Amino acid sequence: MSGADVAGVAPRVRTWRAFRANPLGMVSVGMLLLLVMVALAAPLIADYPRGYGDDVLAAPSSAHWFGTDNLGRDIFAQVVWGTRTSLAVGLGASALAIVLGVAVGVGAAYFKRLDTALGMLVDVMLSLPVLPLMILVAALAGPSVSTLVVVIAVFSWPEVARVVRSQAMPVVTLSFVDAAHVMGAPNRWVLVRHILPAVSPVITVSVVLTASRAVLSEAGLSFLGLGDPSSWSWGTVLYNAQRSGALSSSWWTALFPSLAILVLVVAATLCSLAYNDARNPRNRQDAIR
Amino acid sequence: MTRMRRRAASHRIAVVLSAAVVAGLAACVPAEPGDEDGADDSGSGEAGGELAIGTTADVVNYNPLVGNSRTDTWITNLMYPSMMTLNDDAEKVPALATEWGYSEDGLTAWIEIRDDLQWSDGEALTADDVVFTIEAVASEQLGTVAGMIGSYESAQAVSDTRVEFTLNRVDGAFLNSVGFWMPIVPEHVFSQAQSVADFANDSDWVSAGPFVLTQVERGQRYVMEKVDSYPLGEDGAPNVDTVVFRVYPDVNTEVLALRSGELDLIANALPPSVADDVSTDDELETYVVPSLGWAHMQYNMRRQPLDQVEVRRALAHAVDYEAVRQVALGGHAVSANSSILTPTFPKWMDESAEEYEYDPQLSRQLMTKAGFDDADGDGMFDGVDLEMIYDSGDPNISSWAELVRDQAAEAGITISLSGLERNTYLARTDERDFDIYAGSWAVIDEPQSNFNLLFAPDGFINYAGVNDPEVNRLLDDAASALTVEDARGPLHDLAAIVTDQVYDNVMYVEEFTFAASAEWTGFVPKPSELLSVVNPQSLASVRAAD
Repeated sequence: MSGADVAGVAPRVRTWRAFRANPLGMVSVGMLLLLVMVALAAPLIADYPRGYGDDVLAAPSSAHWFGTDNLGRDIFAQVVWGTRTSLAVGLGASALAIVLGVAVGVGAAYFKRLDTALGMLVDVMLSLPVLPLMILVAALAGPSVSTLVVVIAVFSWPEVARVVRSQAMPVVTLSFVDAAHVMGAPNRWVLVRHILPAVSPVITVSVVLTASRAVLSEAGLSFLGLGDPSSWSWGTVLYNAQRSGALSSSWWTALFPSLAILVLVVAATLCSLAYNDARNPRNRQDAIR
Repeated sequence: MTRMRRRAASHRIAVVLSAAVVAGLAACVPAEPGDEDGADDSGSGEAGGELAIGTTADVVNYNPLVGNSRTDTWITNLMYPSMMTLNDDAEKVPALATEWGYSEDGLTAWIEIRDDLQWSDGEALTADDVVFTIEAVASEQLGTVAGMIGSYESAQAVSDTRVEFTLNRVDGAFLNSVGFWMPIVPEHVFSQAQSVADFANDSDWVSAGPFVLTQVERGQRYVMEKVDSYPLGEDGAPNVDTVVFRVYPDVNTEVLALRSGELDLIANALPPSVADDVSTDDELETYVVPSLGWAHMQYNMRRQPLDQVEVRRALAHAVDYEAVRQVALGGHAVSANSSILTPTFPKWMDESAEEYEYDPQLSRQLMTKAGFDDADGDGMFDGVDLEMIYDSGDPNISSWAELVRDQAAEAGITISLSGLERNTYLARTDERDFDIYAGSWAVIDEPQSNFNLLFAPDGFINYAGVNDPEVNRLLDDAASALTVEDARGPLHDLAAIVTDQVYDNVMYVEEFTFAASAEWTGFVPKPSELLSVVNPQSLASVRAAD
């Protein structure tokens, strides 16, 4: 591929080509897609785990791939249905955090007068001890999936805001933004047409990373017993294992949900790394080739 | 920038990996080197050595009249003797007291105590200490005991060993309540403080039990040394030299420590799944004791539709109690025949009581009779969504709450679970803010007086909102009976009404399993998690096995 070829191709396509060339990126996207499929097709894969079974704390076998828990319920089914809740909380919290974070980050970069105040707000939020506060809020508000989404989002947006602000700061000073102002373009137009597109790659990375962190937070809160008792999540499966005391005697009760969390977080991290590398021309080495 | 991000990301992966390894392989915690507990004593059956006991919480309060957490009780019980203890039939039997009784008119009660006990600083334990203790409890309204002695008027030490109590009404449960629940504290120590309630008692402990606390490292361990003389023990003095309570984060780690020899005994009851696992281990010995209370669901009758007895009966018939006991409790529970007079107390038990039958069809009929229907044809009665609250930290109840919800759905009744953090749960219970309450009573040992708390209109723990004139009359009859025979009739009638009207849905009586190293012998298990195997008598007589 020559330099002239590259110049003729849209940046989005170039990024995609570079991303596709990275096996780690493709594998991680594959894993994420698989998890999403499992979440969507949960009713087709396994019956909803309810009631009780006769075989209590049975080791993994052909009948129960991941073994059974202390009430004889199939852990494979719990992990499959847990994918739903975990991903829903992850995506929900991430979406909410992104909206808040982008609004604050772009606002701070674009409206200079707000910068100090919003910067301070972000700093304060970042310096708070997140886990104890999450525990406190979740405990007071009572357990439900929507509570978890809100609680996790409320404590996740400052990191997004900080990254978005630092990305937006140099863009605000670029000449085409000044030109837009000179032409009398309203702030909203400038923000939507110039600033947001410029920070969108950061947002994309943030969505994936925040989602995976949100899944971890959800698992953590559920593990502490603050999850929604009416729905299965990976953290709930772990919590049940710990609470019933099965953790020390029946390894399968903890291993499989832990692996699911591990797969999701590693895949999300690798995916965002690969994307970041792919859209960075210096890494892509277009110019040299 | 990319490199920095990548480093941050790889750091994150490392953290996640290690977290996963910790979660998955928690079972592989290594034993502490240089284990020097009593477990490796010569094993010749001789006295001496150190007994390491695991607990999951620190002591909150060293003042036995104020503190009431489990660890508080286990440790202070070893220093401040009660006048009575329990036998296997959960009957009150002599400990510090030797005899007791009521006058003819029931308005005077008396207790004789032993004359051979003394505090570890050499002062004799006398009737004055008993009088001082009950005066403090009554005047300062200390702890749970204050709630049990509503009939108390005054007390007098008529000799060094005899106390006489004047009562303001006939109260057949007074002596048993005071005798069992009130630990006697040393007047010469506790009277130094302005008020007994403010006395922290957090150093220079004085004991009249088998052991005295000598050293405290918060979050780590509580060291108790044996006293020279303990007449209530088999041999006049404890066999082991030292008892150490060690604090662990949870039962899982305690079990690992017990297996590795770091612990000799776990004071907490084991969850059912762990109990089964431990009982097959030759190196360990398990002890099973019944609960003095029961696990139950209460339906908030202040709210619709639970004010209708048909709905409460429908809910009662929508639970497979045998499945709850066998699966959620792993068989570590017995049926109470849906009666508040449980089999733990043979002298009160009503043989004719029968458990609610699991019959979802009957439940549906009862709901229809109560005026509910399923117009949208989804199999669930319309407009019924009952919130059930429970302490999410309680492993057994959290397990069966899910079963109850799923079984109620079979009967067309929607139950939404609210597993709450303990303090939230307690606050919601206090405010009676729930439809269904799932929980358990730890100890209901004196039905004559305790049932007042449960079923009298102003009862402290009358969660369901029972207000039934017939129940009130029977409560009065039972409370004023001075003999078991006289009290039994009204109590049986009362229990029958409670079952019939589903004022309290008693699900089971738990059997607690405790585990100790097989290298120790001589434990004396007693009913309830409070006494269990860490009661004074038990720890005074334990010795290394042959």
